[in-house]
Amino acid sequence: MLFSAHAAAQDTPYIVAYSHHLEEPGSLEIEYYSNYGTQKGGDDFIAPWIEFEYGATGWWTTEFYLDSQTTFNQSTLFTGFRWENRFRPLMREHWINPVLYVEYENTNGADKTIKEVVGFDNQFDHAVPNGEASREHDHEIETKLILSSDYKGWNFSENFIGEKNLGHEPWEFGYALGVSHPLRLAATSSECNFCRENFVVGAEMYGGLGTSSSLTLSGTSHYFAPLVAWQMPNGVSFTLSPGFGLNSNSHAFLLRWGVSYEISGFGHKVRSLFR
Amino acid sequence: MKPARIPAALLLASLAAALSAANPQDAHDHSAQEHPTDDRGVFAAIAQAPLKTREWRNPYEGDSDALLAGKKLFLQHCTECHGENARGLGHAVNLHSPGVQNATPGELVWFLRNGNLGHGMPSWSGLPVERRWQIVTYLKSFRH
Repeated sequence: MLFSAHAAAQDTPYIVAYSHHLEEPGSLEIEYYSNYGTQKGGDDFIAPWIEFEYGATGWWTTEFYLDSQTTFNQSTLFTGFRWENRFRPLMREHWINPVLYVEYENTNGADKTIKEVVGFDNQFDHAVPNGEASREHDHEIETKLILSSDYKGWNFSENFIGEKNLGHEPWEFGYALGVSHPLRLAATSSECNFCRENFVVGAEMYGGLGTSSSLTLSGTSHYFAPLVAWQMPNGVSFTLSPGFGLNSNSHAFLLRWGVSYEISGFGHKVRSLFR
Repeated sequence: MKPARIPAALLLASLAAALSAANPQDAHDHSAQEHPTDDRGVFAAIAQAPLKTREWRNPYEGDSDALLAGKKLFLQHCTECHGENARGLGHAVNLHSPGVQNATPGELVWFLRNGNLGHGMPSWSGLPVERRWQIVTYLKSFRH
């Protein structure tokens, strides 16, 4: 019965941006996402990843990612792992709620999950054949300042990203913005799955801001992505988000979708195995 | 230790720390239906609600549909820690206790928004305020 308990999450539906809402303490959320991208000058691709998100405390969420990708007409690769931690420094809700984010990435150059866009990241980085791109190994630290607000059912999130390759590379900067709103604010009195209260709609926008040696929008790529999430009371959520490149440096089209399941009380159940 | 191994060691150490993180709210005993809980912390946290929250009126007061909706939300979000009978599991607060039932609806909806992050109670600010009022409507029905 280790995995029998579930809980309905109160998550914002973003795939790239983050809000200040952390995982509930002791809960484990297992998530599968996929990113399909069209590729100019190369082959289209699908980049799936798996996330294990755990609420360590009310103010600390830790998350582990496994990344992979399939590039059509080429190959399927495991592209690395990422480990992130998010901390809420303030114990109360405010108009603007900060969260500090630190992530270590150990990926190779063939990673196409595009979980963030920084520096001068552009679609042509992903046109490099897998055999060549996978020989490049990246050890990076990614930091984010997450600012997030809730107002009348709306969530507004702003993320400022700084990423540093642990080799001798400059800091790269980026941003992600998100806005979301449930289709119905109050719950109905009856049990339901396919009802408006379980749907959240929103949009994300994200892109690069250059590097520490050249802080600029010129030569960077940017995306706009509407999204819809179906969050069922049994702990299962589905998210769908078509993304559109906003300039010639961006992939013309990204289609992301994901499914997640939340196991409430996971931490206690694991600890009880060792008593 | 080779530098490349350091992140892996840090990851393992962090996972162990995360799983063993002190979390009174998570210290469930699912075999127990009722047992004494330490409610002092949450009462102190509710007491920190701004005075103006005492004036907040519950827009769903006396609304039977809202009470049922609140019960549904409670079962979705709250029973893992507080139990289906709301009397608390492990160290989670007994919601029938005087400290909770004597708090005003406004204080409770404020507390649901803020949580008690240092003591395991998450913030439920991700739920629209309408749903938090519905949960409070259900909690207040315990008095009758």
